[in-house]
Amino acid sequence: MLMSVLFANSSGNVLLERFHSVPGEERLHWRSFLVKLGTDNLNGARDDELFVASHKSVYIVYTVIGDIWVFTVGKDEYDELTLVEVLHAITSSVKDICKKAPSERVFLDKYGKVCLGLDEIFSQGILEHTDKDRVRRLTRLRPLVE
Amino acid sequence: MSNTDIVSKLYEIVFGILDKVADAGKVRKKKGMFGRQSVDKESALRSNLQYVALSALRRLPLDQGNPAFLHRAVQGIACADPVGVRHALAMVSEMAVRDPYGVAMAVGKLSLAGGALQEVLHIQDVMSRMYLARLCYILSRARGIDERMDLRSQFTTLLYQLLLDPSERVCFEAITCILGKFDSHESSEERAAGWALLTSAILKFPDPSAQPSKDSSATQGSDGSTASNDSVAKFPKDRPAPRPRRPQPLIRLVMRRLESALRSHLRPVLHAAMRIVQEIGKSRAAAFALGMVINEDSVPENLIENGDIIKADSEVDGGDPAAEVSRTKVVPLPSSLAANSRESIASMLSNLVEGVRTTVACECFYVRAAAIKAMMWMQSPEESVEELKSTIAGELSDPLWPASLLNEILLTLHARFKATPEMAIILLDVSRLFATKAPGKIDSDVLQLLWKTCLIGCGPSGKHTALEAVTVVLDLPPPAPDALEVSVLKDHSSTSDPKAAVALQRLTQAAVWFLGENANYAAAEYAWESKTPPGTALMMLDGDKMVAAASSRNPTLAGALTRLQRCAFSGSWEVRIVAAQALITIAIRSGEPYRLQVYEFLRALAKGGVQEKLKEAYVSNGEDQGASGTGLSSIIAPMLQVLDEMYKAQDQLIKDMRQHDNAKQEWSDDELRRLYENHERLLDLVSLFCFVPRSKYLPLGPTSAGLLNIYRNRHHIDATTGFNDPAVATGIADLQVSTVTRIEYPPIQIDAAVPSPSDGLVDGIWSSNLAGVDRVNAYLGGVGTDAPEVEDDTATTRASVSYDDMWAKTLLEASDGEDADEQLSGSSSPESTASFETSVSSQFGSSRYPSLFGNTTSFGQNTRWEEEHRPGTRFGKFSGELTSLAEDQPSYVESSPANAPLHGTHWQSGIGNQEPLHSPSSEVPSRPSDVQYPEEARAGKALYEFTAGGDDELNLTAGEDLEIEYEVDGWYFVRKKRPGRDGKLSGLVPVLYVTS
Repeated sequence: MLMSVLFANSSGNVLLERFHSVPGEERLHWRSFLVKLGTDNLNGARDDELFVASHKSVYIVYTVIGDIWVFTVGKDEYDELTLVEVLHAITSSVKDICKKAPSERVFLDKYGKVCLGLDEIFSQGILEHTDKDRVRRLTRLRPLVE
Repeated sequence: MSNTDIVSKLYEIVFGILDKVADAGKVRKKKGMFGRQSVDKESALRSNLQYVALSALRRLPLDQGNPAFLHRAVQGIACADPVGVRHALAMVSEMAVRDPYGVAMAVGKLSLAGGALQEVLHIQDVMSRMYLARLCYILSRARGIDERMDLRSQFTTLLYQLLLDPSERVCFEAITCILGKFDSHESSEERAAGWALLTSAILKFPDPSAQPSKDSSATQGSDGSTASNDSVAKFPKDRPAPRPRRPQPLIRLVMRRLESALRSHLRPVLHAAMRIVQEIGKSRAAAFALGMVINEDSVPENLIENGDIIKADSEVDGGDPAAEVSRTKVVPLPSSLAANSRESIASMLSNLVEGVRTTVACECFYVRAAAIKAMMWMQSPEESVEELKSTIAGELSDPLWPASLLNEILLTLHARFKATPEMAIILLDVSRLFATKAPGKIDSDVLQLLWKTCLIGCGPSGKHTALEAVTVVLDLPPPAPDALEVSVLKDHSSTSDPKAAVALQRLTQAAVWFLGENANYAAAEYAWESKTPPGTALMMLDGDKMVAAASSRNPTLAGALTRLQRCAFSGSWEVRIVAAQALITIAIRSGEPYRLQVYEFLRALAKGGVQEKLKEAYVSNGEDQGASGTGLSSIIAPMLQVLDEMYKAQDQLIKDMRQHDNAKQEWSDDELRRLYENHERLLDLVSLFCFVPRSKYLPLGPTSAGLLNIYRNRHHIDATTGFNDPAVATGIADLQVSTVTRIEYPPIQIDAAVPSPSDGLVDGIWSSNLAGVDRVNAYLGGVGTDAPEVEDDTATTRASVSYDDMWAKTLLEASDGEDADEQLSGSSSPESTASFETSVSSQFGSSRYPSLFGNTTSFGQNTRWEEEHRPGTRFGKFSGELTSLAEDQPSYVESSPANAPLHGTHWQSGIGNQEPLHSPSSEVPSRPSDVQYPEEARAGKALYEFTAGGDDELNLTAGEDLEIEYEVDGWYFVRKKRPGRDGKLSGLVPVLYVTS
C-alpha cells in the first residue's frame, strides 16, 4: 500500500500531498515527521540522492530534486525498494513536466500538470505507470498504444 | 440500489469489456510507410482496453469464489501491457493465498516453458516480477498440488530463477518467500522449513535448448529501475547459450547477491539488504528453536535434493578450471569467496555478518538500526557476544540516535528472546548496554518487560546474572549537564539534558521497583518456603553476624538488599521512596534473617542514624532532607509499624505457646479465635504493602501454622478467603458437616519450588498486565502503520498545523487509553493502570510536540483534562489506595508463589501519588478560556448549508440534526445521525452554523 506521497519546498512547507488510508488525525504526524526528516537530512543533499527511513512496519524513501523535496511512504509490498521505483517514476515525470530539476517557482507554475501526472503514476495507494513517456501520453489524454 | 448491486454491475461491465478484448495477445506490429514500424490499430485498442479493464478490476473488491474473476485475472497475465500484467498477477497471487490449488490449476498451463509466466521474467516492470515471485511461492506449497510434481517444480524453478533477477526488489522478494516469510502470520515451522530449503535447495536451470535466449535476456533485462543501475550483480551472462548452466545452490546465490547489495551506495538497497539478513536470521533462529539439524559446516554442492546427490555437477565444477576462471572473472566477489568456491555455509554466513558489521558505519541512522537488528538476529546462542556488544556500545555512544529507533532495537531484543529463550542472558547483557549508554532515550516499560521476561526465561542458574543486569542501572551516575555539551551541538544538549535526567530517574525508579518486586523470585527465597528452621530468627540478633550469614546463604538476595539500601539513602527523593517500598516488600516476603536486616536498616533510616554515620559518603542533591535526615520517615513509619506488629505478635505467640505447654493446657476456642483474628489482621496489613499469597503467608511465623489449622478446620474457614468469606462471617460455615476437603497450611517446604521456564510460563508473561506488553506485542505482530511522533523540538512545521487537529488527536488518545484500561483491568489492580496512563501522559504530554505550539502549554492541559475526568485516580487516591489495594487482593489468591512477581502491581502505582508534583505539564494549571470541555453530547441543528474547507471539517445541509460533542476555538465538533453524501459522520463546523 502506497500510503503517502508528499512534496515540500526546502523550508519545509508542504506543496502537494496525497494520502491513502491514513486517518485524518495521523496525517499531521506524518507531515511533521517527514518534514523533520527533510530538515535533518536533505539540506545539502545531491539531486536524486536517495534517503531511507522506517517507522515500525512503514517505509519511507525520499529525495530532493531542485528545490523540491519528495517523500514516499509505503508499507507491505511497497517496501524501500518499491518506493525507489515509485520515487523514480515521480521524479522523472516531474522533471519531464518542468523540463529540468524544478525550482519552487517552476513547480508551482506547473502544479496542475504535476497533479495530473501523479494521478497517472499512482491511484488509491496502488502504483500504476512508471514510465514517464506513458505518463505523458496519458496526461494528454492520448491512448497508451496507437 | 445497494452497494453489492453496484459492485456486481461493475463486475459485469468489466467482464464484458474483457470478454471482447482479452484474447488480444501481443500488439501486432506492421511495416508502415518508409520502413517505419507502426502498430495494428485494432490490437492496440484491444491492449489498451484490456489494461484499463484489469486496472479497474484490481480496484474492485476481490471476488474470491467467482470462477469468472479468476479466469479473467489469469487471462490478464498474458496481457500485452506490462502494467496490466502486474495487476493481473497481483490479483492472482492474492487469490492464491485463499485457494492455492484452484489457482495452481488455472495458472498451470501458463507456467510451462514458453508460457505467459515465463514471459513475465522478461517484462521490464519490476512489480510484475515481484508478484510473480509471490505467486510462485504460494503455488509451490499448495497442498493439493502434490500429485502434480511437474507443476510444483515449474513453480519452484521460476521462483529460484527470480533470485537472479537484476532488480534487488524481485530478488529479495524471492529470498523472503523461500525463507518462509510471506506475511506477518507465518509460523515458526514454516520459517524453519524455509531455512532448511535455503541451505539445501539447488537451482537447476531449465533446458536451455528449449529456450535459447531466456537466461541471457532475463539477466540482461535492463529496466529503468534505479535500484538496479549500479548494483546489478553481474551473473554469468556472456556464456555461450548452448552450454547448460551449472546448477547452483541457492544459499550461494543468495549470499552473493546480499554481499553485492551490501556494497551498494544506495541507502534503500542497504536498508532492504539488512532486512533480508534479519529475515535469514529469523528463519535460522526458528530452525534452531525447533531443533532442526542443519550442518552449517557442510559445503552446499554436496547437499541433497529430492534424494539425488548432485555428484556429477560437483565433478564438473571441480574438473573444469575454465568455468572456474570465467566465473571469478565476471562475478565481482571478495577474494575469499571467489578463491574458495567450496566454502561452507558457516563461512558464508560469517562473511555476511562481516558485511553487515561494516554497514553499521553508514551515516543513515535507519540503515544502522537495521544493521544492528540484523546482527542481533544473526547472533546464535553459542557464539561469543562480544563483537555484537562492542558494536552496539559504539553505536549507542553516539548521542544523535533518535529515541524511537533505539526503542525499536530494544523491541527486537524482545522478539529475539521470544524466538530463542536460551539467549536470555546474552540479551540481558545487551540490554544492559542500552540502560547504561542511553538511559534517557529508551522506554523504561519496554526495558522492564525485557528484564522480567528474561529473568523468567534464563533458568535458575542465570537468575543472579539477570538481576545483576538490572542493578547496574542503579549504579549509573546522574547525567552531568556538561557531558553532552562537549560532544555535540549546543542546542541539542541544552534541551536533552534535563529530559535525560528525568528519564534516567524514571529508569532508576523502574529498576528499584523491579528489584523489590522480583528479588525474592530471583533468589528463590520466600518466607512461606523458608529454609530457616522455625524459631532461629530471634536468636540471631547480632547484626553483623546476621548479614554475613545472609549473604553466604543467598548472595543474590543479599546483593539486591545492599543495592536497595544504598538507593534508599543516596538516590533522589523519588528513588528513595521506591527503594523504601522495595525494601519492605523484600522484608515481608523473605524469611529471617533478611526481614530483621531490613527492619534494622529501616529503623535506622527513620531515625536518621544512618545518615549521621555515612555523612562523608553522602552526596546531597540539593533537596531539603527533612528532620529525619532522609525525608522518608513518613513513608517508613507505617512500614516499621507493620514489622513491629508482626514481631510483637510473634513474641506474644511464643509466650502463649510456652504458657500452654508449661500448663499442659489445650488452646481454647476463644484463644484460637483471637489468634486467628490477629493473623488475619496482620495479613491485611501486610497486603497493603505488597502481594503475598494469603493461603500460605504466615505473619505470625511458621510456628503458628498448626494452631491456625486447628481453628480453621473447626470452623471450616477457607484459607484463601479467610473472614472475607460470607459463609464464615455469618457463621454458616460452622454449621457445615466436616466432610468438606480440609485445607491446611502446607508444611514448611525445605526445597524451594523453582518454576522451570516452560513455554506456558513464558507465554503467561505476555498476557500479564504491563504497560510495555502492548508495545511489544504490537511490534512482534508486525503492526505499526500509525504515524510516528516527532520527538525533537528542532522540527520546523508548516503553518497550517491547527489546534483542531491536535484536539482531535488527544480525544482519540483519551478514548484509546480508556479502552486499554478496560482490557487491562482483568488481573491486576485497575487503579495502577489508570494511574500509569495518566502519569505517562502528564509526564510526556507537554514535551511531545513542543514545536507545534511554541510557548503555549495547551497540549499539556489537554492531558490534564484526561486526568480530571478519571474520578478518583489521582486526587482521591492517596487516601483510597490502601483500601483499594486491600480490596484487590482476593483476585490474586489463586496465583502460585512462582507467579507472584509477575502479578505485582505496576511500580507506578506506588509512586503515582507524588507524580503530579514533578510532572512538567501540571505546573501551569490555567486553561484557555475558549475551550469548553466535553461533558456530554448536546443536540443541535444545522442552520445553514456549510461546505467543508478541509479534511477535518464536515459538510452540512440546512436543517440536519446533529450532536454537538465539544466546542473549540469557535468551532463545534459535531456528529451526524447518519453519514452525509460525502460519507463523513463527524467533523468540525463553525459555531454560528448550528443552533444548540
